[in-house]
Amino acid sequence: MDNITLKSSPDTPYFPEVNFDADSGVCEISGESYMEETYKFYLPLINWIKDYIKNTNNKIELVIKLIYLNTSSTKCILDMLDVLKEYQDKGGDVKVIWYYDIQDPDMVDEVEDFEVESGIKIELRKFEP
Amino acid sequence: MIDQATIKQNLFKRTLLSYRGPFYIELISVFGSNIKDFTKEYDNTRRKLFRIFIELSQNVSYYSEHFHMVNNVQRIGLGEMDLKEYETFFTFTTKNKVKNSDAKILSERCKLVNQSNQLELRHLKREQRMNSPGEKFGARIGLIQAVMLSKNPLKYKTEKIDDKFSMFSITVKVDKN
Repeated sequence: MDNITLKSSPDTPYFPEVNFDADSGVCEISGESYMEETYKFYLPLINWIKDYIKNTNNKIELVIKLIYLNTSSTKCILDMLDVLKEYQDKGGDVKVIWYYDIQDPDMVDEVEDFEVESGIKIELRKFEP
Repeated sequence: MIDQATIKQNLFKRTLLSYRGPFYIELISVFGSNIKDFTKEYDNTRRKLFRIFIELSQNVSYYSEHFHMVNNVQRIGLGEMDLKEYETFFTFTTKNKVKNSDAKILSERCKLVNQSNQLELRHLKREQRMNSPGEKFGARIGLIQAVMLSKNPLKYKTEKIDDKFSMFSITVKVDKN
């Protein structure tokens, strides 16, 4: 499987940086996410996760370092978490880590909502200053 | 009778941003950076304002009935926005053309959101997001998110243009932290 690497650019801050590593199973999304047609951006990422699970059956770790995501992006992240939850329910080794800014209580609420809606445990970690 | 303290709190200071035209993503992104910059002395407010600005601006971009088609594929909504600073708060307003039938639905949605407390809004948000068909429809929780972030009710107004269309405006008040 190929890795997915999308670098962020100051010209398009509405696209996050993406690093999905097929060798380690670590999938990282960072930056900001508020592009148009959000699902067109996230669908290949969700399909990559589905393929990874199908082809390897290995451990997968989703690491999110988003400082802002619009509500359309939250729907896509939720779809991603649903795929991971399904894998976990079938015995897959899944870990989800969400980095947040300690000054941003709204993001902590958002992560709590994701946990409730997806049923998957999300480990909250503070951004290092 | 309004007391002196209330008058001072509501004192208008300045318009930070005012725009009328197409709401395309590159422009939204630049205005977003401006908003972060204009409000940098209020850290928490700045974050909330930026998030509310993106949600409401993208609503104009996606749903305004006055729109441009780019290359016959991409639909860019046209509308208006302004960001104003008062002594103790900011207001952000968007205004765009809607079908009269949609204005009614939007007013009902604003009314429901305004009547709900934070806990009810959180449940509503979870319910709407889970039941949204996704894809091009997004999560359909932008207005709920705006009220949850601002912790203030939405101000909304419909101005009828003709038998088919109206202008619909939404104002969110965000207190300075």
